[in-house]
Amino acid sequence: MILSLVKADFLKIKRKGMWLLCLIGPFGVVALQMVNYGVRKDYLFDQMDDRWLYYILNINTFTPLAIVLGIVILTSFMASIEDETNAWKQLVALPVSKRAVYLSKFTVVSCIVFLSSVLLFLFMLGYGLTLGLGADIPYLRIIEYSFLPFFAALPVLGLQLWVASVSKNQAIPVTLGAVGVILAYSAPLLPDWVIWKWPALSNDWDHSYINALLGIGFGLVLYVLGMIDFKRRDVK
Amino acid sequence: MEYIVETKHLTKSFGKEKAVSNLEMKIPKGEIYGFLGPNGAGKTTTIRMLLGLMRPTSGSVQLFGKDMKNNRIEILKNVGSLVENPSYYPHLTAKENLEASRKILNVPKKRIDEVLQQVRLHGVANKKVKGYSLGMKQRLGIAAAMLHQPELLILDEPTNGLDPSGIIEMRQLIQSLPKEYGMTVLISSHLLSEIDQMATRVGVVSKGKMIFQDSIETMRKFAQASIQVKVNDNEAAWRSLLANGQKADLGEESVTLQAEDDEQVAASIRYLVQQGFSIYRVQEEKRSLENIFLEMTKEEQAG
Amino acid sequence: MFSVINSEWYKLRKSKVLFLLLIAPLIGLFIGIANSSIEIEGINAWHGKLVMMNFTYAILFLPLISGVLASVICRYEHQEGGWKQLLALPVTRGKVFLSKYLLLILLMLVMQLMYLVSIYLVGMIEGITDPFPMDIVWKSIFGGWVATLPLIALQLWVSIAFKSFAAPFAINVIFTLPTILVINSERFGPYYPWGQPFLMMNIGGSTEDVFFVPWDQILMVVGGSFLLFFIGGYLYFLKKAI
Repeated sequence: MILSLVKADFLKIKRKGMWLLCLIGPFGVVALQMVNYGVRKDYLFDQMDDRWLYYILNINTFTPLAIVLGIVILTSFMASIEDETNAWKQLVALPVSKRAVYLSKFTVVSCIVFLSSVLLFLFMLGYGLTLGLGADIPYLRIIEYSFLPFFAALPVLGLQLWVASVSKNQAIPVTLGAVGVILAYSAPLLPDWVIWKWPALSNDWDHSYINALLGIGFGLVLYVLGMIDFKRRDVK
Repeated sequence: MEYIVETKHLTKSFGKEKAVSNLEMKIPKGEIYGFLGPNGAGKTTTIRMLLGLMRPTSGSVQLFGKDMKNNRIEILKNVGSLVENPSYYPHLTAKENLEASRKILNVPKKRIDEVLQQVRLHGVANKKVKGYSLGMKQRLGIAAAMLHQPELLILDEPTNGLDPSGIIEMRQLIQSLPKEYGMTVLISSHLLSEIDQMATRVGVVSKGKMIFQDSIETMRKFAQASIQVKVNDNEAAWRSLLANGQKADLGEESVTLQAEDDEQVAASIRYLVQQGFSIYRVQEEKRSLENIFLEMTKEEQAG
Repeated sequence: MFSVINSEWYKLRKSKVLFLLLIAPLIGLFIGIANSSIEIEGINAWHGKLVMMNFTYAILFLPLISGVLASVICRYEHQEGGWKQLLALPVTRGKVFLSKYLLLILLMLVMQLMYLVSIYLVGMIEGITDPFPMDIVWKSIFGGWVATLPLIALQLWVSIAFKSFAAPFAINVIFTLPTILVINSERFGPYYPWGQPFLMMNIGGSTEDVFFVPWDQILMVVGGSFLLFFIGGYLYFLKKAI
């Protein structure tokens, strides 16, 4: 049942530009560094001995923002496809559980964001190779900064999908998203428990995998809470 | 009797307001059940509860003898529905819209072409629904409801937005369903005339309460039309009819016959002709649904 | 004309937009209190607070929230065919567009003033005793508002074009995120419309002029992009098939 729902959801997002966003996100993040390194390569090379690391960290100033905003946009799109002609009622009147309907939406958004992470890995590695950052290519670190932000952002995904699917007015989740990106941008000032800080991969323990594990755990919690609330509500 | 739909003490309140109150709906198999009521009477709320879209505040819904609360998915496998305005994905074509439902319903692909044929949308199947007229969207909604050949079809105001020829087609389609596929159909409307031409059973709801539920024949007795006769001398004609032992009322410009069947009407007219009255007009005046509702609610209050 | 604006305001009042305006000062309070500013002898303590608060507020929040407001003001027209009902009234399309725009910039002004209040509150909470530099703050608040005028025009345009909230927001994000990098560049920063709210709110600029950035930059970048976006949106709306 869940598989057919996911297939149907992928059909519904056709022509909505969501796949384009999936591409623009990681491309934009790397393109900004293309401009940055294009304009002042020498200056940036002088900043740190480990040029690869500095390059990766530069990219990572934008990744959390792009991932948070991307999640806001994708979840809002998912909800508005059903909201537009109130297709929720037709969908839920099919022989499917509301839990599966919610899980399917979560799965589709996760897939798109994960694919963005894959693209980010390829773009980051690809442009890095052209820069001449050094012979030792830190593959592990590039993987870390491509994929861990995705896992660390799962709580934001859970929260945004929840708010977007139960709000009649998409201004609410989008405004929450605008506030969220301010929090993600202010990550260094925030205590470790703020979920918007996690995609930046910084914490007091200095181990980025902690953010990813926390993200998976707490993302699951928010997903379940959102699902319970979604199931509980009457479909108008 | 086997009931496809049976509700018991079904109640839904929004805050203090009771949208549906103690509603007992019973639909036997193979019937076309007309669900009648003025706008805002609670028809759509009832239908939402039948489909498990809303939880009843109290009472229960049973479809195919199973409780909706615990068997929702199993029940919905055999139910097709179109609730209020048709829902669709405007950026997808008619085919893609049906495909999105088909994937979930898991029926063969050829069903899409079959239902499109049935609602006569096969010519525009590859156009985006965005550009459809209201009537076409409505027909697409009905196609989606029939995709999995459900045993129960629930249609909420299905002729909304259809043009006269579309309404006739829709009526013929709906009437053929019980005969050809053994389907049971629930169709809601605020127009008596529409229900009158299709339904075999009728339920009338007013202010959230079921005030009448019986066969269409019984309903027709309530909605019995009166025959008005306009003659050269209304008062004399009236007296003459009464003198002959036939029931009649004197109106301002006509005489109203209280005839129970066509033969009685014929007898009264024959009599008036024989008595030498000039008959200008014999016309049937149907009582409006509004009047019938008023009468029924009156009886409800009196009882 | 006034009756159209009045009707717009009436419709808007019934939505939750006033709550939206409150987000700005809350964000202001948050950034102000979360950042501990460095105190330098001889420099007004307010300056440090202003530099730091305006940075986050003007780079990301101001452009993003202005887009949300523009979408809100079009939302109820997209629902259930509001546009056709509105335009079937004896009003010109031009007046409708202008009314929506004027109301939006008025709301942005209110939001800026509420942000000003939050600056003052942050100072009070942190016990800043230096005199409140009203002349500088005023320039910053008003300048930030002027800089959002073209952005609002563009967002109104895309909000009219798209039914969903997500699409105009996506466009907004695509233009706003690069600001973080672009403002670092002395060559490109001054020409990037989405960078202007920050540049005009940043109190580091010259204090001689009315604003912190030179007049020719305001006229050319802010004025030019305003004309482009406003006229573009205006013409689009006149021709849009409802």
